[in-house]
Amino acid sequence: MTDERELDPATEFRQLYDQQYLSVFRSIRGVVLETAAAEDLTQETFVRAYRARHRYTPTAPPGAWLRRIGINLAISYLRRQKLARVLPARLYIAPDRREYDRAEARDVVTKALTTLSPKLRAAVVLHYYDGLTREEIASVLGVPPGTVASRIAKAVAIMRKSIGSDQDLGPERSSSEGALRGR
Amino acid sequence: MKVPYVEDKPTPGGFRTPSEDDLGRMIRDTVESWNPRRGPDWSDVLIRLANSGPPAWLLYTAASAALIVILIAAYLLGSALQIGALGPQPVPSNLH
Repeated sequence: MTDERELDPATEFRQLYDQQYLSVFRSIRGVVLETAAAEDLTQETFVRAYRARHRYTPTAPPGAWLRRIGINLAISYLRRQKLARVLPARLYIAPDRREYDRAEARDVVTKALTTLSPKLRAAVVLHYYDGLTREEIASVLGVPPGTVASRIAKAVAIMRKSIGSDQDLGPERSSSEGALRGR
Repeated sequence: MKVPYVEDKPTPGGFRTPSEDDLGRMIRDTVESWNPRRGPDWSDVLIRLANSGPPAWLLYTAASAALIVILIAAYLLGSALQIGALGPQPVPSNLH
């Protein structure tokens, strides 16, 4: 994110869309853990950012600004999903999660991510994938840097425990176990 | 003599628990394997922009302003025409 030229959202929004689409998608996907929902939320992120493009202030890179919008949208989406589950069954149509269970839960890291809360997942993805510093993550999530540090530490502890116990169950249970041995 | 196998790089939490560096690499590799099925679609963004109405804050502000105008107009009209509670009230005679 930092090695690319920083584009001005007000005048170069179309280029910014092409440049940031994939990384914004992956950050959101890391929070919602669903490809289809992440695609929809990524588009919505850029719609909201486009409307607010003239209000952007260059205190943070445009990528961090887009992530802030995207992560907030993703957390709101998960809150709505949680609320929808308490509605009467006839008002709520549960999403078909069979594809997700089959194709995505097999991945040991994704399985470990599912054990985290959305806020912990956001901190993990922003730190390990986007490579943001604690201060930058704090700016994206709107929390103090100390909170970011504790969230990352907590998430790492949970994930290490989850991956460790998953691998203790045997090699046939995880498809990416070799990733550890190969490193 | 048979020597039992011992892991040479144990990590805190157990032999099979990844180190923090390993975990970071695993997360990065996993996230980089996530790709959208459709990819960037700028025309979809434009369609969403065209279909979306005015922002919520504008709607609420306009509705609040309209309500205030209606209430002020009703007060002025009621007091000018002396109707309803804004009209002259009968004074009980026993007060004199």
